[in-house]
Amino acid sequence: MPEFLITFYDVFKNTYKGFLQAGLLTIEITAIAVVIGVVLGVIFALMKISNSKILQTIANIYITLIRGTPLIVQIMFLYFGITSIIVLDNFWAGAIALGVHNGAYIAEIFRGSIQGIDKGQREASLALGMNSSLTMRRIVFPQALRRAIPPLGNQFIITLKDSSLVYVIGVSEMFGVANRVAASNFKQFETFLVVGLYYLILVLIFSALLRWYENKLDVDK
Amino acid sequence: MIKAENIHKSFGDLKVLKGIDMEVHRGEVVVLIGVSGSGKSTFLRCLNFLELTNEGVITIDGKQVNQKKDNLAKIRAEVGMVFQHFNLFPHKTVLENVMEAPLMVKKMDKVQVKKMAHEILKKVGLSEKAAVYPNKLSGGQKQRVAIARALAMEPKVLLFDEPTSALDPELVGEVLQVMQNLAEEGMTMIVVTHEMKFAKNVADRVIMLDEGVIIEDSDAETFFNHSTNERTLQFLEMVDV
Repeated sequence: MPEFLITFYDVFKNTYKGFLQAGLLTIEITAIAVVIGVVLGVIFALMKISNSKILQTIANIYITLIRGTPLIVQIMFLYFGITSIIVLDNFWAGAIALGVHNGAYIAEIFRGSIQGIDKGQREASLALGMNSSLTMRRIVFPQALRRAIPPLGNQFIITLKDSSLVYVIGVSEMFGVANRVAASNFKQFETFLVVGLYYLILVLIFSALLRWYENKLDVDK
Repeated sequence: MIKAENIHKSFGDLKVLKGIDMEVHRGEVVVLIGVSGSGKSTFLRCLNFLELTNEGVITIDGKQVNQKKDNLAKIRAEVGMVFQHFNLFPHKTVLENVMEAPLMVKKMDKVQVKKMAHEILKKVGLSEKAAVYPNKLSGGQKQRVAIARALAMEPKVLLFDEPTSALDPELVGEVLQVMQNLAEEGMTMIVVTHEMKFAKNVADRVIMLDEGVIIEDSDAETFFNHSTNERTLQFLEMVDV
């Protein structure tokens, strides 16, 4: 066996327990960020398509600030910002930062998919006597959500990979652990290869789940 | 039953309706005709406030309608509408399409609504399609579901906006038949259509619009056989009845 594979195997064998735990943390942070992102995304998408200039402006400012600055800066900013006001561990600070970041992108996804629904749907619903909020909740949004699923899935994958950035505030998720391991075993190349593979596996599993879900929706319809 | 007085409607600089007066009585079937761009669809949409008028008064059952946003849902619940492109809810089954508004707007009991929805679907000849999604239906079937959906709200008046214009020719008949049955049951209907045979056979009155004004309003017999209005005669010659 070539030398490189042996080292690679050694690194894998010595670290998989640590990475398993770190992987769970990565999944947790991603899941929390996704939930926060979807909630914020819905709220800000609705603000953006509302008739209120004030709500539109607030949403625009949020989206512009998030899209116009690097995620790593947002993580630092939120971490030091939040923890100066309330006591919050770095895991939650990271998850919230990632969620707030996500919200801006998800808001744009929802806005696009809501506006993409044929306006005849809204008219038919209004004509039946349903008010605007019922129309949004029962008719427009459920259809928009289906349409949003492929781009949302894409965004979730980006979030999973972006979660590696919270290592800068000391969260021991996969990349954080890889960084520490590499600093102590001096096998940087092999260690980052290992962690890269872990990310790839997670992304592939998630993509498969997503495809399965999209197919299921198609069959339902 | 439903009365429109001096209705004006503009889109930007374009004046579409220039003072329309019309009254429809209970049980009457009125057909609105006119060349495209004459304002007939816009006028129909004003009657259930999908378009808000710039000027004029609409009275339903003797009550003048206040065109304020929170009032409109209540009014629309009593004025059914059938669209050219059906606009069925694609994420709901046929039965759910019919049940949606009675459940959500009238907050009726689910068991009761279900029973009623099945009865209405039977009436439009689609009992066996209750469980399917709209994308599995033909155009004619879709439009009959749309009619059933509107009927489920037990509207005082039913508006039809070119209900057969998007259909393949062989599917037009089944939709017109359902509409004719409704007319015979005494449903108050206002129909924008190019189906002259339907107008001739079913309508009590025919109203001709041209460039945003009513140029003729007479009973069907008079309209088709004894009209003296030059524009009407021109139009009838064009559509060749």
